[in-house]
Amino acid sequence: MRTPDPSGRPAAEERLLRERLQGAGYLADEDLATTVWLASVLQRPLLIEGDAGVGKTALATALAQSQNATLFRLQCFEGLDLAQAAYEWNYGRQLMAIRLNEAGQNGRNHNGSGHVREADVFSREYLLERPLLRAISQPGPCVLLIDEIDRADEAFEAFLLEVLAEYQITVPEIGTIRATHIPQVILTSNGTRELSDALRRRCLYHYLDYPTLAREIAIVKTALPEVDTHLVEDAVHFVQRLRREDLAKIPGIAETLDWVSALFQMRYNSLPEDMSAVLITLGCLLKTREDRFLIGPDRLRQLVEGRRTVGVAEKSTEQAKVAA
Amino acid sequence: MTTQSSAHSATPPSERLAGFAALLRDHGLTVGVSEQQAMLQAAMHFGPLQEKPIQAAWRAIACHSHREWQLWPDVYERFWHPEKLRGGAKVSGQTRPSRNLRQSVQAMHDQMDATQQPTSQPVGKQAAPQTAGDMPSIGQDEQDAGTPRAQGGASRTEALHQRDGQMWMPQELNALQHLARQITAKLQPRPTRRWRVAPRGQRLDLRQTLRRSVAWGGELMQPAWKIKRVEPPRLFILADVSRSMESHAALFLRVARAFALEADARVFVFHTRLAEVTPYMHRDTPAVQEKVNAVTAGFGGGTRIAASLQEFARQHARAQLNRGARVWVFSDGFDTDEPELLAQALQEVRARGAHITWFHPTRQVPAATALLRAHGSIERFVPLASLADLAAARLVLH
Repeated sequence: MRTPDPSGRPAAEERLLRERLQGAGYLADEDLATTVWLASVLQRPLLIEGDAGVGKTALATALAQSQNATLFRLQCFEGLDLAQAAYEWNYGRQLMAIRLNEAGQNGRNHNGSGHVREADVFSREYLLERPLLRAISQPGPCVLLIDEIDRADEAFEAFLLEVLAEYQITVPEIGTIRATHIPQVILTSNGTRELSDALRRRCLYHYLDYPTLAREIAIVKTALPEVDTHLVEDAVHFVQRLRREDLAKIPGIAETLDWVSALFQMRYNSLPEDMSAVLITLGCLLKTREDRFLIGPDRLRQLVEGRRTVGVAEKSTEQAKVAA
Repeated sequence: MTTQSSAHSATPPSERLAGFAALLRDHGLTVGVSEQQAMLQAAMHFGPLQEKPIQAAWRAIACHSHREWQLWPDVYERFWHPEKLRGGAKVSGQTRPSRNLRQSVQAMHDQMDATQQPTSQPVGKQAAPQTAGDMPSIGQDEQDAGTPRAQGGASRTEALHQRDGQMWMPQELNALQHLARQITAKLQPRPTRRWRVAPRGQRLDLRQTLRRSVAWGGELMQPAWKIKRVEPPRLFILADVSRSMESHAALFLRVARAFALEADARVFVFHTRLAEVTPYMHRDTPAVQEKVNAVTAGFGGGTRIAASLQEFARQHARAQLNRGARVWVFSDGFDTDEPELLAQALQEVRARGAHITWFHPTRQVPAATALLRAHGSIERFVPLASLADLAAARLVLH
């Protein structure tokens, strides 16, 4: 914990962090920047929740990039265990060392006694380090991303408590390995399972919501600088309206970027007038059959034009067209 | 903090913070000593003039879930900027329609009159229950058997066309979810034919053991054990949304939704045809009822329970309807199909090994001919007209 500074330096540091994140292609709002800064100052893990595609994982990668830190990523899944997350003994190598010693090919070993002791094969040399242990034993600055923690089992969550609270891992054969440099830990969750209170209390918390219109336009412009401003603004306006629809899977920022990129690849400078062309690319935004069914050509036109309902005049024109 | 009211300006910051922490705890946030210390440290870091970053930092420290995250702005404003709050306290969810004193007294008198003279008021004119908690329970029915009940009679509004949640107070929804959790926990899981690796398993997993032995040059150093995989039973809920059931459909759908969330149940609605509504049940949207209405809008008159059940068993649940599956039918049993067809349809479901429970909105088991003939295939009948009924059913559902 650093000493308090009443001169307003934290605000400057926080601003610097925002600028660095921006340099790494991540536009964080003030609150998020404050939280990330606070997590590093308090040396606490940061738990980020939010819908898929709002930029939870991207924050960790951008943070690592902005600080020239090494990123260690642990992707959680059901059945994830200690051997995959923290460490595992390199049994093959241990066995080989024993066999070589037995065969006398090795001559004399480390201690010169002529036979392998148990402590020799259970040393760091024979330890396969997985992301958690690698982050703990990293000498320089590093960011540890524990992605989608809600997918891991509760038992693994309990194991994480020691790592996150003390920044140490206990290997029974060796002892406790403590972090020489506290890693900045970011946990992400999609909320598919309720996390334990113990884990939540050890973390700072931030809920990452969908971005505002202005922020999303800025994000897309930063990520895709080659795309025409007109197209970006039109597309983001449309996506913002689309998010207000009753969709099964609301498109996130990642989907917006995909869609704008798709439109750019199709050489559009603004949203096309022809709705069928938009409809073709809508697969980038809508990922379920029901949502595709919900957003038909008529609703699509309303959303593109920013209207809630089809006007009477338009309806009558359409009917006249059909009749003709 | 610069903006705090002058009345509190003399109080030391740590005491103010303790007061704020107490208010946060009152709202269900877990704010202990360590959180308060961190909040104080954050405040010292930023200095007293930086309210925005302090608020962001405190929010990150004090909130531990999305619910608390959403609650934060209100609680923060209430404590630090009470002058900004206009009007009364905010109440989430729908409230009962407001009444003035005269109306309330009149309503109380009406209620007393109705209790004293049970038959003086026509059944059709009796006030519909306001919330699910107000619905008559079995116990109450038994106590005042002579009192006419709201169920089955005319209601002021068509339940099927109400917006979802309108008649439900937040505490009742919580109670329902809690009940669903309890009942789900009691649904006995059963071992499947599949195995899973477990350190304390009873049988040797030879395949896994051999795979592990590769690390030791083929020596069986680390045996792997396995046990039978145990899975909770699959739950299917079929809710009757026909015209005769419209006053109960809202309750049925609420109950179905609770089990869809807790037990991952598949939910179907039927009257002349069957349609699956499970995806709508998983969505937290106020328009669930509208969606269900849209699904059932094209249905004609009558209730074809037998045909719907057959369609359910042959098409929708063909692969999942196995031994141990639970099929819950929410219906009064009055079928427009031939009476023997229902028995056949239920027999078909039963032959697949599924256990059928029939939930009926009436106190007694409905005297429908079709249902009487199908008695043998139904494991148990359970009345379901209120939350109290569901609470009582907790003892028999397993």
